[in-house]
Amino acid sequence: MSAAIEIENLFFAYGARRVLEGVSLAIAKGEMVGVLGPNGSGKTTLLKILSGVLAGVGEVKLDGQPIRSYARRELARLAAVVPQESEIHFPFTAAEIVLMARASHHGRLELEGAADLDAARRAMAATETASLADRYLHELSGGEKQRVMIARALAQEAAILLLDEPAAFLDLKHQKGVFDLMRRLNGERGLTIVAALHDLNLAALYFPRLVLLGAGKIFRDGPPEDVLTEANIRAVYGVEVRVERPGPERRPHVFVRA
Amino acid sequence: MKVLDHRKMLAVNVALLVLLLLTVLACSLLGPVGIDLKRALGDLFSPDAEILFRARLPRVLLGAAIGGGMAACGVVLQAMLRNPLACPQMLGVSGGASLGGILGMIFFPNWLLPVAGGLLGEISWVPLAAFLGALSSMALVYRFSLFHGRLHAYHLLLTGVIFNSFVAALIMFLNSIVDFYQAQGLLFWLMGSLSTRAYTTVAFIFAYVAAGFLWLWSQGLRLNLITLGGEAALQLGVEVASVERQVFVASSLMIGAMVSVSGMIGFVGLMIPHVMRLIVGSDHRLLLPASFLAGAIFLCWADTLARVLLAPAELPVGIVTAFFGGPFFLFLLYREGRKMPV
Amino acid sequence: MKPRQRLFVFAASFLLLASARLDADAPPRKIVSLAPSVTETIFALGYGDRLVGVTTYCDYPPEAKMIAKIGDFMNPSLEAVAAKRPDLVIGVVGATDVVKAREMERLGLKVVLLPLQNLDDILKSVRALGGMIGDPGAGKTLAEKIRVQVDGVKNRVRLAPRRKVLLIVGYQPVIAAGGKNFIDELITLAGGANIAGGAAQPWLNLPDEYIVAKAPEVIIEAGMGSEREKANKRWSDLASVPAVRDGRIYPYPSDKILRPGPRFGEALGELARLIHPECFAGKRGGC
Repeated sequence: MSAAIEIENLFFAYGARRVLEGVSLAIAKGEMVGVLGPNGSGKTTLLKILSGVLAGVGEVKLDGQPIRSYARRELARLAAVVPQESEIHFPFTAAEIVLMARASHHGRLELEGAADLDAARRAMAATETASLADRYLHELSGGEKQRVMIARALAQEAAILLLDEPAAFLDLKHQKGVFDLMRRLNGERGLTIVAALHDLNLAALYFPRLVLLGAGKIFRDGPPEDVLTEANIRAVYGVEVRVERPGPERRPHVFVRA
Repeated sequence: MKVLDHRKMLAVNVALLVLLLLTVLACSLLGPVGIDLKRALGDLFSPDAEILFRARLPRVLLGAAIGGGMAACGVVLQAMLRNPLACPQMLGVSGGASLGGILGMIFFPNWLLPVAGGLLGEISWVPLAAFLGALSSMALVYRFSLFHGRLHAYHLLLTGVIFNSFVAALIMFLNSIVDFYQAQGLLFWLMGSLSTRAYTTVAFIFAYVAAGFLWLWSQGLRLNLITLGGEAALQLGVEVASVERQVFVASSLMIGAMVSVSGMIGFVGLMIPHVMRLIVGSDHRLLLPASFLAGAIFLCWADTLARVLLAPAELPVGIVTAFFGGPFFLFLLYREGRKMPV
Repeated sequence: MKPRQRLFVFAASFLLLASARLDADAPPRKIVSLAPSVTETIFALGYGDRLVGVTTYCDYPPEAKMIAKIGDFMNPSLEAVAAKRPDLVIGVVGATDVVKAREMERLGLKVVLLPLQNLDDILKSVRALGGMIGDPGAGKTLAEKIRVQVDGVKNRVRLAPRRKVLLIVGYQPVIAAGGKNFIDELITLAGGANIAGGAAQPWLNLPDEYIVAKAPEVIIEAGMGSEREKANKRWSDLASVPAVRDGRIYPYPSDKILRPGPRFGEALGELARLIHPECFAGKRGGC
């Protein structure tokens, strides 16, 4: 079985600003990986390269094939993205937004068919957004909006789900909701999940594998207890912290020293 | 879950199409002078027939084509530029067309173009000069908006607006060096008018508008995705650069052709898309044809009013579109404003 | 300009006229003209050499083109006018910007606005201008010459049937002379009836259907530099219009008839010849 994602010696720069300097990473199908790192460490860039929005130098393979060998439509059926924030300039309902995920499945001149409506319904049921279907996206709260975005990504029916700080602007309850959902999708449907994350503690709690980016390279890659150590965090974030491992699960918990 | 289905597509489009046919009929029969329909149809050489078939019908048809084309272009430009203020006048092409037309009027006012080797009569060459202006400004704006091989919405918008101001300056300069009466004539032309008697011109515009509209309509689904932003659209499987290029070229050709014969008729392209979005929703697969038909209906009536209101003088049709369209739009915005994303 | 406003300016200009007469002991040596018709009149009076500034539109007589320009008709430059240090600035009621005129007065310039709305105005203004320049005789002679020309034409077409006339200055779209325009009077004096004469505007955009309905017998394309053949082709679609059917579409290349000035009588004669050629057949004939 080939890996879902293989990255070999990846470099990327925005003009003169180098962001990724030789990143190599392999993610198996059905894995759930959290990508950590300070602002500007390249988390978002990495996800954009994986979704084909940006192209770096180096080998990137999805499902065993080089990413540039896929057409856009194929890529969209392979990997779906939940953006950090979504632009909305015109009045679209939540259902319309979710159905847009089906553009890569049905013909360009067609309306959505039964299969598309079905996929959208299932995606909205899974994210508990069915009741929001006919509301305008711009009228929804941050949490509702983000769940609709996840529903859209699900409706794409891609095996790989890429999320860019999916809980960044949410309150505690909705943060937990999103993390629960990610775990459920990974566990029940076997989706490969790669999420750029900010909250170290939630990451440690939910993600079995974490990748810590620092200075354009992978600083550490492994289970939470190996990655989230006081020394690693000091080296990458430049912040003094205390790490404890409370509770029966003994997941690391990071305390910032004020 | 209310989504666009074939029934809604059909119902909206057929209803608007029927309204458009009725509009064309009504506007051909209405005007500052009355006609005797029986005589018009009975004797094709009577003044009544001439008013109906020479003076009115071509301009009503032209109004329908241009109203529809402007509205459709407004829809796609607002979507592509993700800017609700975008309108056909912003693209730079309109300025280029005006400049071309003005140069044609100043330097070769009396050139006539034989149609089909003169068999179909001769038409003024000013529209052709305007269209050449539109094409060259299109190439220019395109080149300046290209960054890393991609059309950049922001650059496109800025380039268009700045190019148009530059051209406006040139036009005002030309306007101040020609003589007084010619200057008045140029100003009238710039204000826009649907006045035409040449079916050849109408057919030319119909061909452009129809082809351009179908081209744009074929991008309807992708335009939905593009409104979510370039990145989101890419991630949902849209070749964004290709869509942007196609939309730019198709709408530029349409706008160029339209401005060449009618001058700048404002407001239709800005307002109709918003009105129709509030009525039929934002899905471009329906929004595009619905806006096209609604724009056609709106401009036909606006032009009829332009002919009647101050009869015998004809008002610039742009005055009518803004005067009646503006308040209606504000009313709709007030009532349905919650549908607009802030 | 509203009628009341016009009346006011009219009255004001006559007051100015009167005051100009009071110190007529020193006739103006340096004159700025703010309109082509004024320039023409001054030349016709024989005092073109006193003009030190004219508008960019002043191209008749040809000597006028040699005189310094002070801006265009609608938009004269205050600075350029003042720099000429004129003893007298002459504009036209209803055309010259009243605000600008007042600013010129504030700069200490003597400004006169002449009414040139119709034949009566023209005759009065010609006489007044003669007086202002210090040669009332020249004014009287020129006015008399115009009147004789006008009377000559009137006599010729006196018995002719009124022909329906459309006079346009633009074709895309059609811009026609309406009522409230001295051209309307010109057409009437020439034995025609302006089909757009009922319009409230001096110039208006006329829709095609109105032209067909009003069926003009003569169409005159003035000041467009058009050629006869081209003009006929342009109108060929409207074959039911008598002027088109009978080939009576006349380009009138000069803008003589567009200027309410000393060439009024001459223009009237030419216009009448286009409308009623039959009245000018014999040497002394008429209709």
